[in-house]
Amino acid sequence: MTQITYEGRTVDIAPGETVLEALLRAGVNAPYSCRAGNCHSCLHRAIDGAPPPQSQSGLTDAQKSMGFFLPCICRPMSPLTILRPDDLGASLEAIVRAIDPLSEDIVRLRIEADGFAYRPGQFVELSAGEDLKRHYSLASHPEEDAFLEMHIRLHHDGRMSRHLADKLQAGDRLRVAGPSGSCFYEGVHADQPMLLIGAGTGLAPLYGVLRDALRSGHRGPIRLYHGARSRKGLYLSDELRAISKARDNVDYRPCAFDPSAPHGGDVAATALDAEQNVAHAAIFLCGGENLVKRLKRDLFMRGASLKNIRSDAFTPAR
Amino acid sequence: MSSLYDRLGGEGAVNAAVELFYRKVLADGRIAHFFDDVDMESQIAKQKAFLTMAFGGPNAYTGADMRNAHKRLVEKGLNDSHVDAVIENLNYTLRDLGVPETEVKEVAALANSVRDDVLNR
Ligand SMILES: Cc1cc2nc3c(=O)[nH]c(=O)nc-3n(C[C@H](O)[C@H](O)[C@H](O)COP(=O)(O)OP(=O)(O)OC[C@H]3O[C@@H](n4cnc5c(N)ncnc54)[C@H](O)[C@@H]3O)c2cc1C
Ligand code: HEM
Ligand code: FES
Repeated sequence: MTQITYEGRTVDIAPGETVLEALLRAGVNAPYSCRAGNCHSCLHRAIDGAPPPQSQSGLTDAQKSMGFFLPCICRPMSPLTILRPDDLGASLEAIVRAIDPLSEDIVRLRIEADGFAYRPGQFVELSAGEDLKRHYSLASHPEEDAFLEMHIRLHHDGRMSRHLADKLQAGDRLRVAGPSGSCFYEGVHADQPMLLIGAGTGLAPLYGVLRDALRSGHRGPIRLYHGARSRKGLYLSDELRAISKARDNVDYRPCAFDPSAPHGGDVAATALDAEQNVAHAAIFLCGGENLVKRLKRDLFMRGASLKNIRSDAFTPAR
Repeated sequence: MSSLYDRLGGEGAVNAAVELFYRKVLADGRIAHFFDDVDMESQIAKQKAFLTMAFGGPNAYTGADMRNAHKRLVEKGLNDSHVDAVIENLNYTLRDLGVPETEVKEVAALANSVRDDVLNR
């Protein structure tokens, strides 16, 4: 017999019993539907202990590497501590190192959080108090940077935005939970074409993924499309131009709204027009919900496999 | 004789069919709106559950589960013509994959057998 720990309680698992059966028997209102490993309704994440590989069948490489598994087909041999899929777990204290402008309305926030493990492109939950928690993506690289770097667009009436712009200073404390999200360099072959498309601060995770890919020796072509409302919003463009000049396989394609530009500078239309052959590409999509939804659907209909499309929609907090 | 699911190729066949099928459904104006979920990942997992069932593979769905899963859709107007369209897309998908006509018919019959539950009748 073994156990699972779930939201602070311990549940025994009888021999042959699944994690789902044990949770339901213990009175936990766990979601499920097919009970056969197909529908993914029961998805959970193990943060301690390794779920058996069969219980991860059908999940993406990124999900597997993060400990996701399907409780309805999981018969563990050793103890597991599990979380609901949207639970980012315990938070750590972090110290603000620097807040610097990247454009008119985008800042770069660097914080130090000792022992925080992540992959570039994942996101964290940043909290500046019990009722002020927001998700931000990571542009830094754990092996190159001693800080977590975020690119944050300052919304005029945004609560976290105002807090960052008006109050927060180097030396202040924040809390950070996570990481989460599957927008990172995992399950990509070194020779596979990579397609990175984002708008606004959607560049943050893509920049993280790009750096990670290059550091991992990615050889296939990498095309990065970055959209902004105006030229001024194309932040980091000097760095990105320099990378694309230094690397034969990197192509940086900035698009800013401008009637004279192809497709008026719409990054989605520009990318869709240029990328006709996407069946084998590893695709990363980040930015506003509408952009991500449109690109995901159009690229899928054009032959991209959903397994090859990683995305983060920057949905506003409720 | 081995089961329909085994003859079709089991889970590998479901995996080969699921994206083809989902693309056809999304391109079919008669039914696309039922599947037009923001979250395509969760939608495609449901498609996999559907195909596993239609292929006669392992599943624990009861008639009541099928009623519940489609109740929301019936409220939005799901009817016989939509079930016909889904089965038609299923047939095209299997033919694209080179599945013999006997098995195509068996799959269609299996899907058709839950029609009344799907339509909450
Ligand atoms: C997975 C994920 C990753 C994210 N990564 C990043 C990131 O790397 N960089 C980043 O800048 N943001 C990111 N976001 C968005 C971020 O979490 C906040 O929603 C955003 O910073 C606004 O917070 P706020 O407190 O300033 O505004 P709020 O006080 O939450 O909102 C204030 C007002 O602004 C509106 N608003 C908020 N966001 C938007 C928007 N995107 N477009 C239009 N109107 C909006 C709200 O509807 C509201 O009216 C991410 C979101 C998610 C879910
Ligand atoms: C022909 C017989 C059909 C069978 C055997 C069938 C089977 C299934 C199964 C097994 C699921 C997954 C349920 C779950 O685990 O939550 C499902 C979900 C779904 N089905 Fe069907 N289905 C059929 C017909 C249809 C039709 C005709 C439509 C619409 C045109 C439809 C639309 C959907 C949708 C949208 C979902 C997802 C529901 C959700 O996201 O909650 N199905 N179906
Ligand atoms: S309940 Fe369907 S995958 Fe677990």
